[in-house]
Amino acid sequence: MSARHRSLAAQIRRWTEGGGLRDRNVLLLALILVLLIGMTILDSVGVTTGSFNSDYLASSLINYVPLALLALAELFVITTGRGSIDLSVGSMVSVVGMIFGILYVNAGWSLASAVVVALLASMLLGGVNGVLTAYFGYPALITTLATYYAYQSIALVITGASPISGARIAGLYSAADSIELPVIGQYFPLVPLGMFTFVLPVAVVAWLLLNRTTYGRSLYAIGTNTTAAQWAGIQTRRTQLLAFVASGLVSGLVAIYTVAQFASARPDAGTSGAGMALPAITIAVLGGVAITGGIGRLSGVLLAALLIVWLNASILIVVPGNAGTQLQFLALAVVLLGASLVDALPTRLRRRGSGADGPTLPVPTTTNPQ
Amino acid sequence: MTATETDPSAGRQAIGRILPPVVTGQEVVLLVVVAVLWVLLGLFTPSFLTLGSIGPLLVAVAPVALMGIGMTFVIITAGIDVSIAGMIMVCAVITAKLLVTVNLPLLPAVLVAMAVGALLGTVNGVLVAYGRVHPIIITFGTWNLFLYIGYRVFDSSTVNGIPGTLSVFGRGAAGSTFGVPHSFAIAVVAVAAAWWFLRYTRPGRNLYAIGGDQEAARLAGIAVRPRLVWVYALTGVMVGLSACITIATGTSTLDQSVGQGKELEVIAAVVIGGTSIMGGRGSVVGTLLGALLVQSVRSGVTQLGWPSQLAFLFVGLFIIIAVGTDLLRERARRAP
Repeated sequence: MSARHRSLAAQIRRWTEGGGLRDRNVLLLALILVLLIGMTILDSVGVTTGSFNSDYLASSLINYVPLALLALAELFVITTGRGSIDLSVGSMVSVVGMIFGILYVNAGWSLASAVVVALLASMLLGGVNGVLTAYFGYPALITTLATYYAYQSIALVITGASPISGARIAGLYSAADSIELPVIGQYFPLVPLGMFTFVLPVAVVAWLLLNRTTYGRSLYAIGTNTTAAQWAGIQTRRTQLLAFVASGLVSGLVAIYTVAQFASARPDAGTSGAGMALPAITIAVLGGVAITGGIGRLSGVLLAALLIVWLNASILIVVPGNAGTQLQFLALAVVLLGASLVDALPTRLRRRGSGADGPTLPVPTTTNPQ
Repeated sequence: MTATETDPSAGRQAIGRILPPVVTGQEVVLLVVVAVLWVLLGLFTPSFLTLGSIGPLLVAVAPVALMGIGMTFVIITAGIDVSIAGMIMVCAVITAKLLVTVNLPLLPAVLVAMAVGALLGTVNGVLVAYGRVHPIIITFGTWNLFLYIGYRVFDSSTVNGIPGTLSVFGRGAAGSTFGVPHSFAIAVVAVAAAWWFLRYTRPGRNLYAIGGDQEAARLAGIAVRPRLVWVYALTGVMVGLSACITIATGTSTLDQSVGQGKELEVIAAVVIGGTSIMGGRGSVVGTLLGALLVQSVRSGVTQLGWPSQLAFLFVGLFIIIAVGTDLLRERARRAP
């Protein structure tokens, strides 16, 4: 084990010297490996309160679904540049969850039609953000701060702040359950179903969109330089609008997943406590999405979400209870600040470095698909 | 740079842009909106325009306005601070614990809160100024860091039996003189001082320069980094003071949800007040009026007997309308 550890350390050193740490995926993978190896050692020593194994890791993925999806939504929006960000994803989760709950339980619609209408509503909500930002020229931070308040308010007022539950919604709980994989399942731990029904399709579609379509290229183009993109014949406004619509749609999917997971539609599902938006943005940034736009990869976001979910799960198994929950905040702070500051180190040597990634290196990062 | 202008009217226009009019259009509009709102609420509710209703409203405005001063400064430098919720928590829980355990007197309690805030704000400032990472990322990070510290100090329980030492800031009889709440008076004085500072002093003007173009400001000889450090530190100090008001207006129990969501509330007040989120433009008077508008809406919605959460819908609409009018004015000014 220690030999593996040493070779890993040597490799990290080599990557660092070759500028490899600037590749966020390498850094994230290394951190995930260090975490897994470290936890395996701690587990074999007997420090952990439960057993740290693949079953535990797989079951912790239940938290991965909403976090990774919303971080993907932020990837689309933040990549469009000019300070674009979506603060309203949490509120959209709340509203769409309530709309779904009302249609499915109170109005007695069929599951399929309730889901379709809820998702259409979520695209409309994202569209409002997009139109205000792309066509009316509001800064995205302002638009989505306003709709964060407005959507949250609608979600709470629509049923007088009471959640919707009942036998029909409880029946959806199986959608968030863990399943055994077909054929090869006996060799693998039980993975939450949401990983296959929600994360996998969204990730595949998003990857194809970003890397294999004109739309994806336009998205990176307007984020890198809006004026240049416009002169290149890209419809910059429509591209940005669609990014916000995508963010709304993904929030809608998270809403339906959250309703299934908690077996009730809660009006504060996406905004209670610290809310869902700020963690999602944090994950996106940790995954190497430049807040200045134009840079960001799907794989980075997925890895960052995996790191944080497993880190949180690891902390809870070593330090159980409240102390563990508190330690998760510290861990997120250290990882986020550490990764951003390490990333900014090389740019500090240049005269005008700004943002998490150096402005002189966007081309190789964005044009290499994965 | 305006001295080279030959056309006198153009020169005056340029000077006007450097030193904006004493009261900007946005502030006049906000003042009118708040006045109209108050008159309407006075007509449609029996008790809105009474001392028993306006007093608590002004007390509730105070912390948002005070933190808004710091946030206005930060946003003028083209930064942002989303760690406010964490800072309030740390300041409030440390102060509350000291009030309970050693029965700290009023002045030391306020000083402790402000000192803790200054320390946390300095952490933000140093990381923003020297880390070369976007302020929103830095403060996302420190927000989590401060939450950790706050929860540790709370020690997974509430702080109970807080004495009434800070009641001079509260809603009660001890909290006001001749009907004017002390905390609101402090906020108004602080806003006046910040207004003067931003408008008439060199360090104040420098903040606009930094927000307009950081690199140009540096080349013009402005010590950008030290300025940034103390702007974030000042936000911390204001958060510390606001934490005292938060303790004073609460019950004798402080729970762990203190401060939650405040960062967005403060940013909302700042942007409704006409400060540009892009930096380089903004006013603290607008921020005070923005905070007043938001709180009036919340109070009004409750007194009209509507669901209290409906207030947030209006807050969202006000943000869109306020920034929208500002965008239109900007477009008109740029048009030939």
